[in-house]
Amino acid sequence: MRLYDIVVLVTPDLNDEDAAKVAAEYKKILTDGGATVTKEEPWGKRRLAFPILRKREAHYHYWQVESAPAAVAEAERRMGLSDQVLRHLAVRVDEDLKRGVKMAERIRIKAAKRPPRPAPAVAPGEGAPQAAPERSES
Amino acid sequence: MRMGGGSGRPTGGRAGAAGRDGKAGPRKKFFVRRRKVCKFCAEKIEYIDWKDIKMLQGFIPERGKILPRRISGTCALHQRKLQTAIKRARSIALLPYATD
Repeated sequence: MRLYDIVVLVTPDLNDEDAAKVAAEYKKILTDGGATVTKEEPWGKRRLAFPILRKREAHYHYWQVESAPAAVAEAERRMGLSDQVLRHLAVRVDEDLKRGVKMAERIRIKAAKRPPRPAPAVAPGEGAPQAAPERSES
Repeated sequence: MRMGGGSGRPTGGRAGAAGRDGKAGPRKKFFVRRRKVCKFCAEKIEYIDWKDIKMLQGFIPERGKILPRRISGTCALHQRKLQTAIKRARSIALLPYATD
């Protein structure tokens, strides 16, 4: 099982309820394929950053889903076929999330090992007067 | 020819440098620039979320292009992640590809 972020953009021609129904169809495909929905956020009707098929708005529906890859692939295939879906995106996130946690851990260990820094304000102050006489000599 | 050119240049340069030195010496602080720090390293952001449009918009100037590393100060690793995040957001029209 892998964790996916899935976003579907449904046409603004439908009203909110119908759009939610369309989105729910795809959620059903996912859950039928053995997926469990961990997060669900209808982002509502949003302005698009650029027109898609002459449309300037869309209903955004977002889920985070724990699923087998096959179910997501099937849902994406169906989304691509539908006229009511303007765009869709499914991204696997579990690996990146895990890597992020691991990296944070590594940074923390590194920071702990490093000896405490000397006050940084002193160094540039010393450097400036040294540089000035050198130039005047030449 | 080379010698002449070589000797000509330093003298000119020296005169210019001397003139500049007189002014630049006391005004040195004028050139001190704040060191740029990678935002994601500084704030210890573990995962650059492509859904967080407000955060991403900070890296998108007027034109809609991705802000280069040399300006934003983002480290190489985080710039790469930021890039994919912005591109994902663009693909579902959260961010523009280009604006005039």
